[in-house]
Amino acid sequence: MGYFADSFAAAFALLLKLDPEIMRIIFTSVFISLSASVIAALLAIPAGVAMALKRFKGKATIQHLLNTLMAMPTVVIGLLLYGLFSRAGPLGEWGLLYTPTAIIIAQAILIFPIMMNLTVTAVNAADPRLIPTLRSLGARTLPMMLQVIRTTRFAILAGVITGFGRAIGEVGAAMMLGGNIEGFTRTMTTAIALETSKGEFELGLALGMVLLVIAFVLNFLLSVLNRA
Amino acid sequence: MTPAYQLSDIRVSYDGRDVLNIPSLSLCLNESTALLGENGAGKSTLMNLLAFVQRPDGGQIALLKQTVGARLSAEQRRRIGYVTQQPYMLHGSVRDNLKLALRLQQIPRPQHLALIEKTLSLVNLMPQADQDAATLSGGELKRAAIARAIVYEPDILLLDEPFSHLDQRHIRQLESSIRQFAAQDGKTVIFSTHDRLQAMAIANNSINLVNGRVTSAPLLNLYHGQSQQQLFNTGKLLIHIGENDTGARHIAIDPRQIIVSDQPLHHTSVLNSFPGRLTQIAEEAGHIRLLIDCGEPFYAVITPTSLHNLALQLGDTVWVNFKASAVSVF
Repeated sequence: MGYFADSFAAAFALLLKLDPEIMRIIFTSVFISLSASVIAALLAIPAGVAMALKRFKGKATIQHLLNTLMAMPTVVIGLLLYGLFSRAGPLGEWGLLYTPTAIIIAQAILIFPIMMNLTVTAVNAADPRLIPTLRSLGARTLPMMLQVIRTTRFAILAGVITGFGRAIGEVGAAMMLGGNIEGFTRTMTTAIALETSKGEFELGLALGMVLLVIAFVLNFLLSVLNRA
Repeated sequence: MTPAYQLSDIRVSYDGRDVLNIPSLSLCLNESTALLGENGAGKSTLMNLLAFVQRPDGGQIALLKQTVGARLSAEQRRRIGYVTQQPYMLHGSVRDNLKLALRLQQIPRPQHLALIEKTLSLVNLMPQADQDAATLSGGELKRAAIARAIVYEPDILLLDEPFSHLDQRHIRQLESSIRQFAAQDGKTVIFSTHDRLQAMAIANNSINLVNGRVTSAPLLNLYHGQSQQQLFNTGKLLIHIGENDTGARHIAIDPRQIIVSDQPLHHTSVLNSFPGRLTQIAEEAGHIRLLIDCGEPFYAVITPTSLHNLALQLGDTVWVNFKASAVSVF
């Protein structure tokens, strides 16, 4: 028990003195997941709004596909992109393997279906009079989409936050594509997974606490948005 | 005369059931037309089609003689203002809503302020201009929605059940707003209502909708039931009908075809004769309208002279008589 308590104390101490190594890891993690979230949101929100507004053949199939992709294991995405980015792979010459860019791409792909699905849900949950009203006022496709996003912005933002939460907490893709390189691709999750076994229990514990705080803040934001 | 709308072979169905079936219909330009019908008659569906926010399952609608294809042009869209039964106001104030409508209709920005001021004073909403649209009362909300629909100066104003759920004071204010809009040059108003008197107060024309079909039958004396050979059973009365139409579910009798007598009529070709209690006497455009309760309510129209000759009093027992051929079956 003493070991556990001592480790907690040491982890707190690391956080309180703003240990440079820990700060670097947190920054890398947040930067990668935030970039992935922004890229995914820029693609997923318009795609989700368009899908909710349009009626077309195969809509149900796409919906099923998105639901399946939402549950995709992160290591599978890691595996597929590893195949693409590795030296022998088709995109090997881009030299993306073991770079933050590779992780950003992987996380963006991971959370795109989540954000798109939650955007579709947000638009579908809007007042059914919204779209006919805009249509009767002469809204063409683009202004219509902008107004719909504006009206459902809180629900859409909730989807973006959910996506960010998933990205910052995932470990499989970051490990396979980032390689846990210190000061470059070492994220909170890869550090916890890989450094702990090297005897850095305090470091892992400190980063675990940071992740929990982030999860708490994200959930708090979600509950605020749900009330709005 | 150019019609505002021409409909041909229009059909709309939900779950295999026809809610609208209109082989042909013209709606006049520069006039006010009331679309009359009971709840569920297909009024809202027809209004949605006229506003082009819903597409028919079959048929064509021409707007001002131009057939409308897959979508309206921006210019065609600008000619129509639509107010739904329960209008939806967008985020922001009344003024914000009007501004957005002008922006979406691509009206040049320098005109915005003048158009907004003019419209707000037309619907008498100046004091509420900067109020959050979500906090408006029922009557104000309706007028705000009308303001939003006419701010870009459309030629045609469509109103779906504008007077429902409003108290008398708000109904009068709304009527005055609609009349003021209609009084402008070249404006067409089409509104739906289930209230015949309301329709007559504003409209020059009326169109009757029953079960998704346009009917020339008057909507007074409309009964639902089952026809069995040459009889129609309303559940309370058995009425002789001229046609042998077993599929029919509705009949209507023109109030002018009803003969009112204080004695049963004998030895005549009048097959339908029902005793009833006189419950209402009203003057209407030089005629006298009677309401007689024979189990089913019957409206009859007689002349003031007949009223005098019959010496009718409320509560009297009178006979309602009409020929089987006076019954429209559909």
